[in-house]
Amino acid sequence: MSNGVPEIEDAKCLFIFGYNAADSHPIVARRIIKAKEKGAKIIVTDPRRTEAARIADLWLPIKNGTNMALVNAFANVLITEDLFDKDYVAKYTEGFDAYKEIVLRYTPEHAEAITGVPAADIRKAMRIYAGSPTSFILWGMGVTQYGQAVDVVKGLSGLALMTGNFGKPSVGCGPVRGQNNVQGTCDVGCLPNVYPGYQSVTDDKVREKFEKAWGVPLSPKAGVTMTMVPHLAQEGKIKAFYVFGEDPVQSDPDAGHMRHTLDHLDLVVVQDIFFNKTSMHAHVVLPATAWGEHEGVYSTCDRGFQHFNKAVEPKGDVKPDWEIISLVATRMGYPMHYDNTEEIWNEMIALCPKYAGATYEMLDKYGSIQWPCPTVGHPGTPYLFSGNKFNTPSTKGNLFAAEWRPPKELPDEEYPLVLSTVREVSHYSVRTMTGNCAGLQSVADEPGYIQMSVADAEAMDLEENELVWISSRRGKVMARIMPSERINKGTVYMTYHWWVGSCNELTIDNLDPVSKTPEYKFCAAKVEKVADQAWAEQYVKDEYARLRARMGCQTAAPAAAAEAAANAN
Amino acid sequence: MAKKVLTVCPYCGAGCRLYLLVEDGKVVGAEGAPGRTNEGTLCLKGRYGWDYLNDTQRLTKRLTQPLLRDKSGELAGVSWDEAIGFVADRLTAIKKKHGPDAILCTGSARGPGNEANYVMQKFTRAVIGTNNIDHCARV
Amino acid sequence: MNNFLIANPDRCIGCHTCEIACVLAHAAEDALVSGAIDQHFTPRLRVIKTATVSAPVQCRQCEDAPCANVCPTKAIVNKDNTIQVVPEACIGCKSCLMACPFGVMDIVPQLLGNYTLKQTALKIQDDEGGRSKDKFVALKCDLCIGRKEGPACAGVCPTEAFTPVLGKTMSASVANKRKARVAELSGLSLNQ
Repeated sequence: MSNGVPEIEDAKCLFIFGYNAADSHPIVARRIIKAKEKGAKIIVTDPRRTEAARIADLWLPIKNGTNMALVNAFANVLITEDLFDKDYVAKYTEGFDAYKEIVLRYTPEHAEAITGVPAADIRKAMRIYAGSPTSFILWGMGVTQYGQAVDVVKGLSGLALMTGNFGKPSVGCGPVRGQNNVQGTCDVGCLPNVYPGYQSVTDDKVREKFEKAWGVPLSPKAGVTMTMVPHLAQEGKIKAFYVFGEDPVQSDPDAGHMRHTLDHLDLVVVQDIFFNKTSMHAHVVLPATAWGEHEGVYSTCDRGFQHFNKAVEPKGDVKPDWEIISLVATRMGYPMHYDNTEEIWNEMIALCPKYAGATYEMLDKYGSIQWPCPTVGHPGTPYLFSGNKFNTPSTKGNLFAAEWRPPKELPDEEYPLVLSTVREVSHYSVRTMTGNCAGLQSVADEPGYIQMSVADAEAMDLEENELVWISSRRGKVMARIMPSERINKGTVYMTYHWWVGSCNELTIDNLDPVSKTPEYKFCAAKVEKVADQAWAEQYVKDEYARLRARMGCQTAAPAAAAEAAANAN
Repeated sequence: MAKKVLTVCPYCGAGCRLYLLVEDGKVVGAEGAPGRTNEGTLCLKGRYGWDYLNDTQRLTKRLTQPLLRDKSGELAGVSWDEAIGFVADRLTAIKKKHGPDAILCTGSARGPGNEANYVMQKFTRAVIGTNNIDHCARV
Repeated sequence: MNNFLIANPDRCIGCHTCEIACVLAHAAEDALVSGAIDQHFTPRLRVIKTATVSAPVQCRQCEDAPCANVCPTKAIVNKDNTIQVVPEACIGCKSCLMACPFGVMDIVPQLLGNYTLKQTALKIQDDEGGRSKDKFVALKCDLCIGRKEGPACAGVCPTEAFTPVLGKTMSASVANKRKARVAELSGLSLNQ
């Protein structure tokens, strides 16, 4: 995020796009509520009437899969209604002419035909956004999990550039990161193109620095992304997959293809805290300590380093992740030894000018330090791009537009619905942690849920909590129907935490060409009524028991499932 | 009297600071701590998301020892030495036969922390010799 | 007047944290560690979401409580400015369920610690044979009576959506409103 979470509540306009904070980040949603109470105008673009849409001044119920068309139309309005900041655009941006040429084709009326959002509301949204002294854009997976995602990210950032909404408090762009340390994992270089501190692997000077520090020659060629593994394995290019703290069989699209991939690799190493679905395909499983059993530093979604402590001793013959990896490295002939996490941290910040001042001592002093933090004693940087200097060779912000591309798999006669995956507020990611917590399990449990519009549910004669089959060209699973007045007709939404109602058996492996993020938000699906509900209930029970037994859990699952179904709404 | 341990929530990216309440070496509760982003508040996951540490086996079970697939194809418990040796030998062999770019390692965007991820990318780059390091940022 | 809690739908984000807090406030202290929460999971307030509103619905502690007025065994009483169920007197007749206009009464098995109480005489007789029947009782929000920190739901809400309304301060607040309106009247020019 260019700006911090606390700044959200002081923005005069919040422009929320494909982001449902109430379910994914309740404590960020809290800032949205505060902003509203402080008088901010709130504009929400989302096909669902989310909690934020419910309290918004303007809700734009967009048709799934049409983001780019709407964002181009926003830019169109900024130009044609002369709402943009000409002085800012001249001084701090580049690419205006090419940008203008594309977006001028996306009149609000043209966009209305594609997106379903009334042209008048598109204009109104931009008048509010451009007219506010501070406008903060927040987006989530509703932008990034499409086959056309990076283009939309650039398009939204362009709106902030066009209106001078960078380089000061309570403005900018907030792609609110989902997992607790997804920001940190990027920060420390678990990306195929950058070393820690976002230093390019193809930059000779940078590479020489790391070669010197690590004492070995390093590859000058950027690596491949994890989502490419199924494709590259098929081509015989990837032979070994070391999976650390992830469960791709549960979290990645088209689970059937992922299982097939894993079963045909020469080596699958799983390093985790729980036995998960991916472990079933592993050659070797390495047990690690969990949150609560070790210390370290996490990064918040707004670039804040925060130290976390160990609370209890781990049980069993487990080791901290860094120690396991060091042991493998040493055995492979590269001696790697650390006494503690602070030693590792110090090695890293010494290699990253952006993080240099964020020592454990300073983290302890300040509680949270948002990078950049170049020197010891520096309190961190709440917002980026001060002086409107951007991370480009010219330091100018790039204005960018692209033609809208529809999603890959459109609904048809056989699969007439759109399936999009979303989040459950009481569960997290692949659910190995929250699914083992009693209170959270009580709120929502297997087999999981499928949200459907009241109109679609009535047309299919489906009642709340009824079990249904959901299928796509890739698989078929069972889940409970949750009819809701907040859901748009023609689209169904499944949360991705469940084992029985596992929506990634159905999702499509269509990747954005740049980010390689899968199109989790759009594939064609169908829903079928199950006449014999007693049979269906038994099927769910048996299937769940079978999956748990395969993972070594022979005990009966707690009887929370039925209750959770009754509680959910 | 419970001991309070200051930590950071392991769930979403909001980065809420919280206290784990520890009694007799066991976590018994959580409460909000003053943090930059959360200001003492917590949602349900932060407040009630710690009892998995007790290996409740509500969903699945904690891993408590290294496992290696035996001749019958079942995962069976082995020593750390054996497990580490197996991983090192197989990775070395695959690297030798197919080159370092035939191996892909992941970081973990969840509980392990920045230090463990730093070590993983260093391992991938310096020991395996590839930039094929990624994590679940896209999922 | 009775005390009650009111939740502001403009603040509620529908996260259900209050429901878990409610259950834990009425369970054994170690209910999460022991797993006993499974048997106790009947929150006395429920988060309801319609197209335009999200809010927990819970007992308003009515002055003329219909649940109490229809109870044939006088098992619902007005105590310390709240409406309370006396489980020992409840026969599980469901009259209160029918009478409550807010739909916030439940009938649930009565628990003692982590155990479900059984009836001494009434047995279930069916294909599976005869067995003791659970004792069922009415369950409603008790405003966490006796809990020194006050109602648990309000204490955990991340958006501070709950406002506790105390009967005694409410009378004063109403009186203040009257005064304020009178003051406005004095500013009116009746000749206009």
